[in-house]
Amino acid sequence: MAFERFTKDARATVKSARDEAVAAGHHTVEAEHLLLALTARPEFHVLGLDRERLSDALAEEEERSLASVGLEPTQLQARPAPRAAREPRFASSSKLALERAMKAAARRGDRRLDARHVLLGVVAAEQGRVPRALRIAEIDVDELRARI
Amino acid sequence: MVDNVFAAPPTLPDDPADALAAVGALRRLADRLEDTAVEQALEDGWSWADVAEALGVTRQAVHKKHAPRVGHDLVRKGHR
Repeated sequence: MAFERFTKDARATVKSARDEAVAAGHHTVEAEHLLLALTARPEFHVLGLDRERLSDALAEEEERSLASVGLEPTQLQARPAPRAAREPRFASSSKLALERAMKAAARRGDRRLDARHVLLGVVAAEQGRVPRALRIAEIDVDELRARI
Repeated sequence: MVDNVFAAPPTLPDDPADALAAVGALRRLADRLEDTAVEQALEDGWSWADVAEALGVTRQAVHKKHAPRVGHDLVRKGHR
């Protein structure tokens, strides 16, 4: 991946997505970790990218998905918090998001890839945890894309 | 145990998006449970070989996946 074209902000976002995954004890860095990392950027708060709102929506998505196969959330909450993974790998959802970020930059004729492109890449997903959580958070993705 | 965990038989939702999301959520849950179970076994003095056999994977696979995550003391214990 052409990381040399990433701005300092975009690199910081990727790095904090990795930190998000580690903090959550996840083995992989997913698109949702990029999304959470992006909520730390104040310029995106006007777009409704509030950390608490999105992390609640992601938790809700997980809960609903498990409930859909009959797993009761009350029994799952009792489990101990997992130990942090040392070095999580970037999974396909985050790689796809970064590829889409590069495409978004190319489409706009931007030479450098900044945090806005990362956000465009993340919200470009039609499937997976991110669009499902955004729907739960009642964030209109089309409107969001238009405002980025 | 299974009766306690499943409030209803584990049938998949009709919508493919919901069904695939459920599979992903179950996989993540299984990963978290595996982390906890492996840690617990090592704390109880299990060897990596026994943990691997119990999980039905190779010793190399379980070591590669969990050794960097669990503490040094536990890793040493696992080598006993």
